[in-house]
Amino acid sequence: MSEDKTKNKAVKKENNKKYWQFFWRSWAIQASWNYERQMNLGFLYGIAPTLNRIYKDPKDIDKKKAAYKRHLAFYNCTPQTSSFVLGLSASMEEQLAKNPDDFDPESISAVKSSLMGPLSGIGDSFFQGTVKVLAFGLGINFAQKGNILGPILALLICLVPAWLVTWYGAKWGYTAGNQFLTKLNSEGAMDRVMFIAGVVGLMVIGSMVASMIPLTTPLHMGTTFKLQSTLNTIMPKLIPVGLTMFMYWLIQKKVNTGWILAICIIGGILASVLGILKA
Amino acid sequence: MLYKAIILGIIGIIVVLDSRLFGRLNVEQPLIASTLVGIALGDITKGLMVGATLELISLGLVNVGAAAPPDMALGSIIAAAFSILSGASAQTALTIAIPIAVLGQLLAIVLRMGMSSFNVLAKRYINEGKFKSATNLHILWGSTLYAVSYFVPIFVSIYFGTGLVKQVVEVIPKWLTNGLTVASAVLPAYGFALLLSTMLSKKMAPYFFIGFLITAYANISVTGIALFAILIAILLDQIIYKKDNSSSSDGGGDSLDSL
Repeated sequence: MSEDKTKNKAVKKENNKKYWQFFWRSWAIQASWNYERQMNLGFLYGIAPTLNRIYKDPKDIDKKKAAYKRHLAFYNCTPQTSSFVLGLSASMEEQLAKNPDDFDPESISAVKSSLMGPLSGIGDSFFQGTVKVLAFGLGINFAQKGNILGPILALLICLVPAWLVTWYGAKWGYTAGNQFLTKLNSEGAMDRVMFIAGVVGLMVIGSMVASMIPLTTPLHMGTTFKLQSTLNTIMPKLIPVGLTMFMYWLIQKKVNTGWILAICIIGGILASVLGILKA
Repeated sequence: MLYKAIILGIIGIIVVLDSRLFGRLNVEQPLIASTLVGIALGDITKGLMVGATLELISLGLVNVGAAAPPDMALGSIIAAAFSILSGASAQTALTIAIPIAVLGQLLAIVLRMGMSSFNVLAKRYINEGKFKSATNLHILWGSTLYAVSYFVPIFVSIYFGTGLVKQVVEVIPKWLTNGLTVASAVLPAYGFALLLSTMLSKKMAPYFFIGFLITAYANISVTGIALFAILIAILLDQIIYKKDNSSSSDGGGDSLDSL
């Protein structure tokens, strides 16, 4: 009995260490924010300790490389709510390492993509909308009277919800992952989870393509013909989806990443100079 | 002036790392940044006053004649410093700060574009088994470069005066600024395509287009699409996996409900 207790305590301590890791690393997720894949390296940094732990054995190096590369994919989520995705992904990685035969690694990427959209939508509007306006509205009132409490209060009001959401996000993400995934996996229901995550993930990416690539064309002839209006009558957001499909095609053709990046940057500048595209 | 320029540059670093390393706790907001500037320059009251004015502009609660600068975090540090050092009003100081914020914005675009090359590097490191180098790209190099991108414009404009920064900004041709902005909007298309290349199959492709079309035509937000998507997925799941359910008496239906 007492042995069980000490064991439980040790597990609890170990889990707490993991939660803190997810916590701080979720906050640090934007340190290498880049246009191409945004917070992907931040997510890799967050999950790296988990991967290092499960693939400690030198003979697992190929699995470790595959896992590291899996988390290089595009990722973008509010840092505070991202801890949930990080905790869940970490527990999925652990499951995968335990049952490599009947756990599809792609389900991890699918779950990540399906969660980042809704969690950043809710997270951004809560933290950058509600909390910020409330905190600084109050802060301004104090500051205008020359009271130092203004900025201090504003910071505290922002800190408390951010702290709570990140901490419980990490904890719930990890424990939910552990409890439900084991159950689902043993019941052979992972296919269904994969399917649901795939549908949600793809629809979210589709929506992101339509809302996060602000490109239009300024091409026109005289004042009557504007190409963008004509395109809009065919289908709005034709340029963003066309570009994405073009990039997809380049990837399928196995074009070198360096070339694609060069096409994006030089092509973007040229298209702007020639008056074809505008952001 | 050297001492002041360094201290203000360090405040710039604190402000930019707030969103890079601490999940945006809003230390970058003008009220906080300006108060920090006030403390550093020994005039807290002025820092608070200027901060309150800049914060109102930043939150969009007050419209001023001059448009808010593209990078308000950087702009407000410079504006607060000028206002305290020269006694100018917050609004005037903000107008002076605009060229610096423009320069900062341009630096930010170039930086975020350049960091796309980290992805290529990270993949190479992972292939070579240098896992630590791959994560260091993020935590070490990413943070350092972001810190430098704030320190330099602030240091230069305080130490040499805004005149120099204004000249630099005037030298940068308009076509390059516009071109970089377009290029920065093209790059995410590649990021999305990469993500699709791991998830898209003939069977699953319609879902991508459904999500795209709904937002394109009806302007529904990503969160809205996600909520619809969850419902559609659950309905489809019930249709597709119905057979399995009836054959195995108490199948996985319940376990999904508890999710």
